[in-house]
Amino acid sequence: MNLHVVSCNHQSSGLAIRERLAFSSAEDIQRAYQEFHERFPTSEVVFLSTCNRVEVYAANTEEDPAVVRQNLASFLSEFHHVPLEEFSEELTEHTGPEAVQHLFQVVSSLDSMVLGEPQIVAQVKEAYRKADENGSCGALTHALFQGAIRTSNRVRTETRLSNGRVSIASVAVGEFGKSIFDTFADKLVVVIGAGEMAEETLRYLADEGVQQVIVVNRSRDRAERLAEKYRGQVADWQQLDEWLGKADVIVSTTGADEPVVTMARFELARSKQNRYKPVFIIDLGAPRDFDAKIASLDDVYLYDIDSLQKTCDRNRKLRQAEVEKANRIIEEETQRFMSEFYSRAGGAIVKRLRDDWHSISQQELQKLFSKLSHLPAEDRDAIERTVARIVNKLLHPPLEALRDESKGGSPNGLLDALSRLFRLR
Amino acid sequence: MLNVSVFCIFASYLVAFGFELTRLRGQGWLARTLTLGFATAGLLAHTLYLLARASAENLPPLLSSSHDWLLVLAWLLMVLYLVLTIVDSQLAVGIISFPLIIGLVATSWLLPETSARSWDPLRSWAMLHASSLVLGTAAVLVGFVISLLFLWQNERLKQGAIAKRSLSLPSLEQLARLNLWAISTAVPLLSVGVLSGIILTNWTSENVWIDPVVLGGTIGWALICGLLTWQLSRTRTPGRKVAVATAWSSGLLLLAYVGLQVLTSAAGVSSVHGAKPVKVAPQAVTLPTKSANEEGQK
Repeated sequence: MNLHVVSCNHQSSGLAIRERLAFSSAEDIQRAYQEFHERFPTSEVVFLSTCNRVEVYAANTEEDPAVVRQNLASFLSEFHHVPLEEFSEELTEHTGPEAVQHLFQVVSSLDSMVLGEPQIVAQVKEAYRKADENGSCGALTHALFQGAIRTSNRVRTETRLSNGRVSIASVAVGEFGKSIFDTFADKLVVVIGAGEMAEETLRYLADEGVQQVIVVNRSRDRAERLAEKYRGQVADWQQLDEWLGKADVIVSTTGADEPVVTMARFELARSKQNRYKPVFIIDLGAPRDFDAKIASLDDVYLYDIDSLQKTCDRNRKLRQAEVEKANRIIEEETQRFMSEFYSRAGGAIVKRLRDDWHSISQQELQKLFSKLSHLPAEDRDAIERTVARIVNKLLHPPLEALRDESKGGSPNGLLDALSRLFRLR
Repeated sequence: MLNVSVFCIFASYLVAFGFELTRLRGQGWLARTLTLGFATAGLLAHTLYLLARASAENLPPLLSSSHDWLLVLAWLLMVLYLVLTIVDSQLAVGIISFPLIIGLVATSWLLPETSARSWDPLRSWAMLHASSLVLGTAAVLVGFVISLLFLWQNERLKQGAIAKRSLSLPSLEQLARLNLWAISTAVPLLSVGVLSGIILTNWTSENVWIDPVVLGGTIGWALICGLLTWQLSRTRTPGRKVAVATAWSSGLLLLAYVGLQVLTSAAGVSSVHGAKPVKVAPQAVTLPTKSANEEGQK
């Protein structure tokens, strides 16, 4: 099997290199496939480019000098105009069954920065689709990527690797927010502060259908940028109490040294209009923006960064416990893929052997029938069928041995022996 | 011949509850199948028992006795549990419903199996009274289960605990809405039950207001009406307080309808709902099978 993968991922290299080697646009990818095929016309290739990895899967059914680390690395270097020596040592390489196992691990998110994250399957599928669109897939890469998708499905359904959320914002919204509210579409979200964490949380809330967003921030510029992104509105810092009273969801990420919202301030704000309306508060400030005592009020669900972090850690540990099970599935699927591959590889030899033997039997039968011209047509048919059965029975043991050998690994030795013994060229 | 007793029903539900409890530690498909299997078997026995009782007493189970009325109530809750579990197998409704259903089945043992009176002349009114009360009480008990689920979910959220995958709880918003629906359904049904009861007593010319079961039941009905009025009169009501109030009102109504019947029966106090002496273990009822019918015909 001539399959190679060169990889530059979050474990082997820094973001600075990964950014430079990434295929960032659809045009980039299309040009990469064109240039690769101009250089290596007989090779199959799939480029997988995400924020955490840039990988090149190259394959050829025949021995091909294109599919070696040096050539793949040079291609990346020349395509992106990044000197080879700047990243050569950060590239990892896998070949043959190891390359298959690597892809299966990648697609099952075992190689991801966040174990069990679901996006990688879609990213691998997209990479495969683009390669196919660009005419870059062949028998081997089709089988390889279809096997990868099958493996990721098995890992997802047979293990709990994707259970539980592991980012603070997703835990807050997914584990707690969705247990408080049935829908977020009619909820008013008030964001206090406009930092990165606020933006990440808003992204999750937007995915849940949030439509009304108010950003309250001391710096109006940053608030406007964030509000514009999520089609929200900006309110002055002086109006904070008014919005505290109206909010269903509050996301707070100020960098204040002491609580911005004290118990008295919160109670006063809520008592004016929405005393008993449930409110979900995500306090991502460190130190906290909300007085911890507020959590003791009825219908107030307050989560600070520490409690959310603990939940993330617990979920991460639960996922870690599933890694062994996922690896077992990947090993099984790798063996299955290799066995099917070797079986297909031996197919050509098997066909030639069968064709040769049947051809010889036909030649001998013609000679026999020319001598026994008085034989009726039914007798001739009966003789032909008998001889065909004899040939098939004689072929059965070697073909069975070849199939068995394929299950254990490459049957190259046996194929070579068959070719030499029966002069199959 | 098939022998079905209240014990069969009780035991099946108890075993199903035992398997249901394993969900607290994460449930596998086997335990889930066994829970559903025993619950279904129990419901089948329950149905056959009620049919046999109706046939033996020549009256619908709702009218034949308080014992049967209570078993009909438990049957309704069991059907609801099974439907919900089939729709969403992860829903944590069984943990709370099973003790309630098992409690109702066990209590039916303590109630008289025969009615103290004949309803023949007023059968339609009696049927309306009994059926609206059983449906109304079932709605109140659904509200009770929903309230406990609300308090469970509320506690989990307040503690910041992760939800178990094998035990899914609806959102607080959904539970609050369902609670309001349950109580809104219960109030008209119970009102029809109470009013038809008053009309019945006028015809029978009895002073039922000294009957502890009638008096307690009417107070329970008034409580549920008050609860609904309280919920509807405020645009925003604290969710936890509503759940606590519903749980208490439902508990009191159950105590009034069931507990007082048990007490009056045990004490031998006269009641329009039957005051026969307590029977510790009802006899198994015998269901005629096809072969038995054929033998009878011969």
